[in-house]
Amino acid sequence: MAQERGHIPLPRADAIRSHLIDTFSLIEHLQGLSQAVPRHTLREILGLPNYFFVIDPSLQKKLMSGDQHQLVRFSIKPRHMGHITHSQRMLSRLRVRCSQRPPLSLWAGWVIESILLCHLFLLWLSLISNRSYLLKIHHLPHISEYNCTDGRNSFILEILLMWLFGFTLYWNNAWNVFDFVVTMLSLLPEFVVLMGVSGNSVWLQLLRISRVLRSLKLFARLRQMKVIILALARALKSMTFLLMLLLIFFYIFAVTGVYFFQDYSRSTIENLEYNMFFSDLLNSLVTVFILFTLDHWYAVLQDVWKVPEASRVFSSIYVILWLLLGSIIFRNIIVAMMVTNFQNIRNELNEEMTHLEIQYKADIFKRQIILRSAMCSNPCYFSTCFLRQNLFPESVRRESQGKHSEDLLGHSKESVVSDPEKKDASKSDDVDKSDDVDKSDDADKSDDADKSDDADKSDDADKSDDADKGDDVDKSDADESDAKQDEDGKGQKEPPKAKANTSSSSAATSSYSSSLADLDHADNLDWETLVHENLPGLMDMDQDDRVVWPRDSLFRYFELLEKLQYNIEERKKLQEFAGEDLRQPWGQEPQLLLF
Amino acid sequence: MISAITTNAAFVVLKTDYNIHYRMFQIFEISEILFVSMYTCEFLMKVYVDPIKYWRDGYNLLDMVIIIIILIPYTLRKIKGRFYKNLNIADGIQSLRILKLISYSRGIRTLITAVGQTVYTVASVLTLLFVLMYIFAILGFCLFGVVERGDLNNWGNLASAFFTLFSLATVDGWTNLQEQLDKRKFVVSRVFTILFILIASFIFLNMFIGVMIMHTENSIKKFQRELMVERHVTLMEEKQVILRRQQEEVNKLVTTQKTGGKNFTQLVEEFKKTLRHTDPMVLDDFGASLPFVSIYLSTLDNQDNTLNKLQKLYYEIVNVLCLMLEDMPQEKTSHSS
Repeated sequence: MAQERGHIPLPRADAIRSHLIDTFSLIEHLQGLSQAVPRHTLREILGLPNYFFVIDPSLQKKLMSGDQHQLVRFSIKPRHMGHITHSQRMLSRLRVRCSQRPPLSLWAGWVIESILLCHLFLLWLSLISNRSYLLKIHHLPHISEYNCTDGRNSFILEILLMWLFGFTLYWNNAWNVFDFVVTMLSLLPEFVVLMGVSGNSVWLQLLRISRVLRSLKLFARLRQMKVIILALARALKSMTFLLMLLLIFFYIFAVTGVYFFQDYSRSTIENLEYNMFFSDLLNSLVTVFILFTLDHWYAVLQDVWKVPEASRVFSSIYVILWLLLGSIIFRNIIVAMMVTNFQNIRNELNEEMTHLEIQYKADIFKRQIILRSAMCSNPCYFSTCFLRQNLFPESVRRESQGKHSEDLLGHSKESVVSDPEKKDASKSDDVDKSDDVDKSDDADKSDDADKSDDADKSDDADKSDDADKGDDVDKSDADESDAKQDEDGKGQKEPPKAKANTSSSSAATSSYSSSLADLDHADNLDWETLVHENLPGLMDMDQDDRVVWPRDSLFRYFELLEKLQYNIEERKKLQEFAGEDLRQPWGQEPQLLLF
Repeated sequence: MISAITTNAAFVVLKTDYNIHYRMFQIFEISEILFVSMYTCEFLMKVYVDPIKYWRDGYNLLDMVIIIIILIPYTLRKIKGRFYKNLNIADGIQSLRILKLISYSRGIRTLITAVGQTVYTVASVLTLLFVLMYIFAILGFCLFGVVERGDLNNWGNLASAFFTLFSLATVDGWTNLQEQLDKRKFVVSRVFTILFILIASFIFLNMFIGVMIMHTENSIKKFQRELMVERHVTLMEEKQVILRRQQEEVNKLVTTQKTGGKNFTQLVEEFKKTLRHTDPMVLDDFGASLPFVSIYLSTLDNQDNTLNKLQKLYYEIVNVLCLMLEDMPQEKTSHSS
């Protein structure tokens, strides 16, 4: 595929080309199978909102009923767990912003978040009320149920508020479900009494006692306890098979115990302390558990030996085997599994935290890049931008501010490229300037690269370009590159060339907003390390990170990117030549110095 | 099969109760015949299918052992008569039938393979413990068991000495044993007991825990690493396959007669004409996203600028050195002259 250029095969260029083929399904098109190309994405078919075009149900129906055999392009990206709360999301919704009165759910959210401390206090009050409850159980004159009802009412209020805030959200959180269950349990006796059932049945008293569970809600609030409880739940979940195996062994030894100790259970000798220990299956099960906890096993064994009919060999084999297998080996296996599980959980939590941090940093980085072009180019900003280590302060060109116009809120990261007029103006600027610069120049391959850079950038920037103009520029590109390919670069950088350089660099790298908090950190690093640090986070695009391209511009973009790779390669070669050329004067130096 | 085994296990449980056994013994007989026939049929069929490889799988061996166990009470009754003393033992082992269940559950199988790898270490620790107990048993026997006023009950012979020591190791009821020794006024006994408890209980029995933690950690890590590597390798292979296929197809297209031997750009010229500007394409691909474009172009520009500066610096150096060179002969001539 690189044979057209007659050059060394570049893997990067090949990758870009194969990407182009893939995106446009060129193979199917060229083979004449145009109908085998997916035309729509999954989101269109399912009617999920796409911020570029609104899906109305009629269009969706048309899509679905149009061609039964059409292909749909799947792409499933993860959804990032953001630090964006539900209330923030609601604040940015169009419906909320344009309505005359704010919805009640916003107020509910505010109330919930602001009285969190009050809640802790109330929960502590409920703890106290439980104590008074205990007093009541002991038939002592109790203080009053005032605290009880107060706490209960506040719990009901909290549940109602949370429902107002977001009904489906409420049920997604397990802690909320637990809250709900406990509150309902505490309310149930009152309802039942209302319906006429007698208020003194045992069942109702049990239900009343379950109010004690309310104090467990206190634990949900403290974050540390939450983590520990979650870790415990996960550890238990992973130990289910171990516990099943343990149950199987309990069963085996219980049943075997009944049979082995039949003579012992039926013996008529007096003062056998543990006579009924193996009499029945249930008793045998309890005994097996007692032996599992290593409690008085030798006493039981000696008791069994008192009966002459019981065979000593088998009984001691039974006991020793169960001790070794059950209480020594199994218990240590359980401990080992819990330890490894806790370690795994800790590692996973750390990984999650680092992952979140990486994503957060990548988001900040993205925002920096996007903001820089929106900022007005102010010379004083250049001194603060982190390019100062690489560049000399340049005269910044007033350039296309509307290069990228996007939604800066950060919620919806889909960018719609628009502003055709500005882009056209800037593009003509670019093309003119670079044309001038080129014509006034002696050949240097880097010039070509710059020009193609310029042309590329302007092409890329103006996504609403028409293909012809881009073709023209590219053709002139190709011509000039062909013409200048074999010229030996003198390596002299002339001022206009430098200006082209600076202008191109300034075009691409305007100042960064110094108001961003991370700028300090960015200042201390150079560009390369910053990019490398944030690259994994950037590449981890999530669901909302979609870009809308016009088709022909996308095609041009891929083509130009591929050509850029070849250009860069050639430029490297030429710079090598330039370096060799530079060595000539050096070669004479030592001789001159010698004498 | 799983339900059959569970029902069998339930029946075994019910048989333990004498009343139920008495009243419903016919049902038990019939079910017993049914289950035994099921197990034997399964065994015979599996052996018939694959006589040689059958014996390699551990769970098949377990099946065979269980069938042998099932046949034991019957054979014992036949051989030794109905009132053999140890018949209840044979009946007791029937509870092992439930072990057939574990071959049907993948979770337990992985658990057992994982635990089974620790068997060697466990066995070695147990052997070490046994040796230690042997030493102390002989010692205890000589100290406390041989003497006339000694505690013959607990230390009289080797077996009881072993039991006593095991009772000390699993620190259960050891105070009673120690009291017995104290009653007989053995001076050394306290040191002996405490020493043994320290060594056996604190050190050895907790060595178990350490060893098992190490092994479980190792096996889990190895398992996860293998999984990741496998996944990565398959992913890479699939990607390579797709790329290669693509290249082949394009080459084929280029070289077929139908397309007249044009090269790639010419082929797609026509396709390009069909692309309309207002046709949107929604991409979530990193290579076509805005951050990538900005970063890439910025990096290229940075490279340019760095090279530019570098070249400037070089030329400056060269200039300065040239100047120095010019000055030097003048000095020399001024010196010599």
